[in-house]
Amino acid sequence: MTLGSTTIRGNLRPKMTKDEAAWVKQELAEQIDRYKKIVQDMEALAPQREKWVAEFLHRIQTRGFHVHAAIRRVIPKNEVRPRDGRPIQVVF
Amino acid sequence: MPRPHIEPFVDRDVGFKKMTLPGFKNGIQYKMLSIDKDSGACTMTVQYESGFKQPPGFSYTEMELFVMDGHLMIGGKKYVKGTYIFAPSGTHLPAMSTDEGALCLAFYNFGPPTFEESDADHDKADKSQSLKMLNSYEGLDWQVPTLFPQTAPGCLLKILHLDPKTFGMTFLYCMTPGFWQDNISYHDVAEEAYHIWGTSWMMQFGDLPTGGYFYRPAYINHGCFKSDLGILAIGRTDGDLHNYFHHDPFSTPEENHHRAAAKLARMKPALYKWILTNEHNHLPHDFEYPDDAYNTDGYDSGIHMHEDGTSHSHKSSGAHSHITAPAKKKKK
Repeated sequence: MTLGSTTIRGNLRPKMTKDEAAWVKQELAEQIDRYKKIVQDMEALAPQREKWVAEFLHRIQTRGFHVHAAIRRVIPKNEVRPRDGRPIQVVF
Repeated sequence: MPRPHIEPFVDRDVGFKKMTLPGFKNGIQYKMLSIDKDSGACTMTVQYESGFKQPPGFSYTEMELFVMDGHLMIGGKKYVKGTYIFAPSGTHLPAMSTDEGALCLAFYNFGPPTFEESDADHDKADKSQSLKMLNSYEGLDWQVPTLFPQTAPGCLLKILHLDPKTFGMTFLYCMTPGFWQDNISYHDVAEEAYHIWGTSWMMQFGDLPTGGYFYRPAYINHGCFKSDLGILAIGRTDGDLHNYFHHDPFSTPEENHHRAAAKLARMKPALYKWILTNEHNHLPHDFEYPDDAYNTDGYDSGIHMHEDGTSHSHKSSGAHSHITAPAKKKKK
């Protein structure tokens, strides 16, 4: 199942050939390497992200939070959920 | 959803590779953007080299193609940048060639890339959908999203394809210069996108420039957003896109999943109660599509990458897996 639908359809030859299976295996290995690089890059961005988050929390309490289209609402401080030491994980 | 979370990835940082799969003609290079471990379904940037020629033929899996630069001659007609092609599985395309080359995005939706030379459709070709070839730049107008809640002003859409059963869609979207949206979003469905031109910014991932790509499973936070000079991008979802907006930068996918379920209970209490109390252990019967089977594997909120390329869930998300892979009902 992949993008396109949760419905099981759209492939007239669901069993891969030997060549296709080998190609997919190679691509998956490279995808794992790309993923690891992304995780590293995103970890390196963590200090800057903390600043962006602080700026976001300030803006929604002053300029407003986009509720729908152009409708904005200023979020009162008591509606901002305390962080309580929670990390920011961005890649899963 | 065996594709992992790939975000952000910029294809301009890597080189093209020669397509070596049997069936394909010489003159195709590609960059893999994301691939499904189980099925081999994938999204790729594809460069058709100048002088490329291909006879008529079909893909065994449903396929979409978007021309970003250059042109393709298909059946003697010129298809320029902005062309979108949707080919149901087994539906043949006429002979294809290009003099100047063409830079495209290719989406093989349910299996690895295949090409079978043929001047006719496969005898089991998917006839529930039709071959579509359109010029999205000149043939479609930008529209304001009709979602509720809606994205901030300055984000516009062109719908290229809508799956009639799931409302999964392929679409162009743009952000106008100076676009900004101060909320955090997530969805019940997977989403992928590729930046054809321009740079946008998200609080989690930073800048995504031209050539930037993401494949994002359900319930993962993204936003707030902005773009100084605007962007043009192509996006896809694999189901009905609902924007869950909130302002907690630290919430987890599991918490987001719980929040989505709470919203369902609030907004559709009869449906929520019915799911809990009646057809609990198997997928409900749909009289409109009685023979359909579904695969909801991976539609949980703890998705993450493993060494073997698989992703799976932990904690509370498993509580929702009881509708996974129901047995298909046999025809009487």
